[in-house]
Amino acid sequence: MSAEGSRPGIAPDAALSSTATRRPVVRVGSWLSLPYRRRSVVVGGILAVGVLLLALLTLTLGTLGIPLTELPAAIASPKPGRTEFVLNVLRGPRLVTAIGTGAALGVAGALFQTVTRNPLGSPDVIGLGAGASAGAACFGLLLPGILPVPAGALVGALVAMGLVWLGTGRGFSSPGRMILVGIAVSAMAVAFVQYVMTRVNQQEATTLAAYISGTLADRDWGDATEIWVAVIVLVPFALLLGRRLDLVEMGDDVADSLGGRSSLTRTLVVLVAIGLGTAAVAATGPISFVALTAPQVARRLAKAPGAGILLSALFGAVILMAADLLVQQSPFGAQLPVGLLTAMVGGVYLGYLLLREWKKGTI
Amino acid sequence: MSAAPSAPAIGAAPSSLTATGLRLAYDDRVIVDGLDFAVPAGELTVIIGPNACGKSTLLKALARTLEPSAGQVSLDGKPLSSYRSKDIAKRLGMLPQSPIAPEAITVRDLVGRGRFPHQGVFRQWSVSDEAACDRAMESTGVAELADRQVAELSGGQRQRAWIAMALAQETELLLLDEPTTFLDIAHQYEVLELAARLHREGRTLVVVLHDLNQAARYATHLVVMKEGAIVAQGAPGEIVTAQLVDEVFGLPCQIIDDPQSHTPMVVPLAAVAR
Repeated sequence: MSAEGSRPGIAPDAALSSTATRRPVVRVGSWLSLPYRRRSVVVGGILAVGVLLLALLTLTLGTLGIPLTELPAAIASPKPGRTEFVLNVLRGPRLVTAIGTGAALGVAGALFQTVTRNPLGSPDVIGLGAGASAGAACFGLLLPGILPVPAGALVGALVAMGLVWLGTGRGFSSPGRMILVGIAVSAMAVAFVQYVMTRVNQQEATTLAAYISGTLADRDWGDATEIWVAVIVLVPFALLLGRRLDLVEMGDDVADSLGGRSSLTRTLVVLVAIGLGTAAVAATGPISFVALTAPQVARRLAKAPGAGILLSALFGAVILMAADLLVQQSPFGAQLPVGLLTAMVGGVYLGYLLLREWKKGTI
Repeated sequence: MSAAPSAPAIGAAPSSLTATGLRLAYDDRVIVDGLDFAVPAGELTVIIGPNACGKSTLLKALARTLEPSAGQVSLDGKPLSSYRSKDIAKRLGMLPQSPIAPEAITVRDLVGRGRFPHQGVFRQWSVSDEAACDRAMESTGVAELADRQVAELSGGQRQRAWIAMALAQETELLLLDEPTTFLDIAHQYEVLELAARLHREGRTLVVVLHDLNQAARYATHLVVMKEGAIVAQGAPGEIVTAQLVDEVFGLPCQIIDDPQSHTPMVVPLAAVAR
């Protein structure tokens, strides 16, 4: 190879032609311009229709279901009676809680996976769920009466996150350390739960076991309001951070030199993700694997880079609604914790994910 | 706001990026201590030196991706820390050694991300963003690859796509950290020629390189580092001597004239002659 003084700037293989398709953009004057992806819009539309369908099925199926023809009237002007009971007590709050919790978990997972650049990143991995279980065990059984169980779970989750923050020595700015410390915190929390199990009688232990696998049974409008307030406040914040998060995906050096402030961005993103994760835990107990799977599937459907926050929210809602619909219509009865189902399906998915990573040689 | 010129640095005021009393360390390990350096405006500066001499570390500090533990880097006489992060990013671009291409990203999307400092929450993709990306892809010869995924590209194409991303940022100053690493020889020269052209078009470049002969050929200003200090700097023809190369790299050599570019060329002495 001779080193000639001047040579063409384009390699021969660069001459491959391709159709130059530009990204479509919504423009209003010069002050508003938002690019979007057609494929993402289509996928989002399909998922939204899925949410609607699952909601209808949830309300109408089964012996207690409200017939489809009576549904509009029942929602518009509820009259006391069986229909009103199903809508307002039995299935309505449960449905609304499921949508909000699924969305919150989906977004929390999307944020975590992007910030850690790891498909296995999720609030569960750094001990949020385990901490919540420990909190529920502590205030529900060991020291009953001080706090209601969901509040106890919230405290447990926050204590676990506090320990992770302290344990890394760098707050939430180092993903690798966060996962390592999170595993340790999880292990301690699980040990604590098992300790509590040995101290209480069998019936109490069964109640606790149901709660800590995450359940949508017996939710009320209070639970639904709580999770939706969190979603409405935190998801727009996540969307605002999304563009900076896209930069962090390319490495801290690139993000910083583009003005993306990687360290600050990462800390804020983790805080938002923890906020959504703890809100979900407080509403339903720790439901596992939704946060892990939703963003992964959403990414594959969208075939686009970036965190895919809105699609993860929609897909998280779809997963949780579908799982809860199965639980409600299953022969085991509507009291079966939905978390058991998501864990079972999610476990299979996790195995697939690990296998794929292993084949790619990344683990 | 949209006054960003199409060819940024031509006729623009010379940028002055200077470092004074710089101490750079990773945790407790001090790499550079008490270093002063001014990036000469309008030059293609190449920083060279043996492994672990602190050349990449210095570049990171100039690009503010590494916080100095003492001393400061200033732009136009004001410390970098006094600027808004996005404002610096409109004037100073940097391509690190191993940036990470997000999964499933196309060349066009990657280059588009270089526009971040020019965008806002509502103005996420203006007409000038589009134009800047087109120019950057045209200039680096990746326009034909716009819709290909970055992961599918060859090493040389990928590096040009990343340079296009940094160009889309439209800065008068561009820092490149070992842009030829991992490339085969033809693609190395392709990237170097691109850097030389960007310099001719009026940008100020600072490039960290590994290869002495490439550095001597392409630099208009050469900076030689050893053990965290600058040993020599100036025009390659004036400072590259057999004595300097032996002193800095521990390589006995002879300097001859590069028959193509008439720049100094380092020829290591044969083992028998040592």
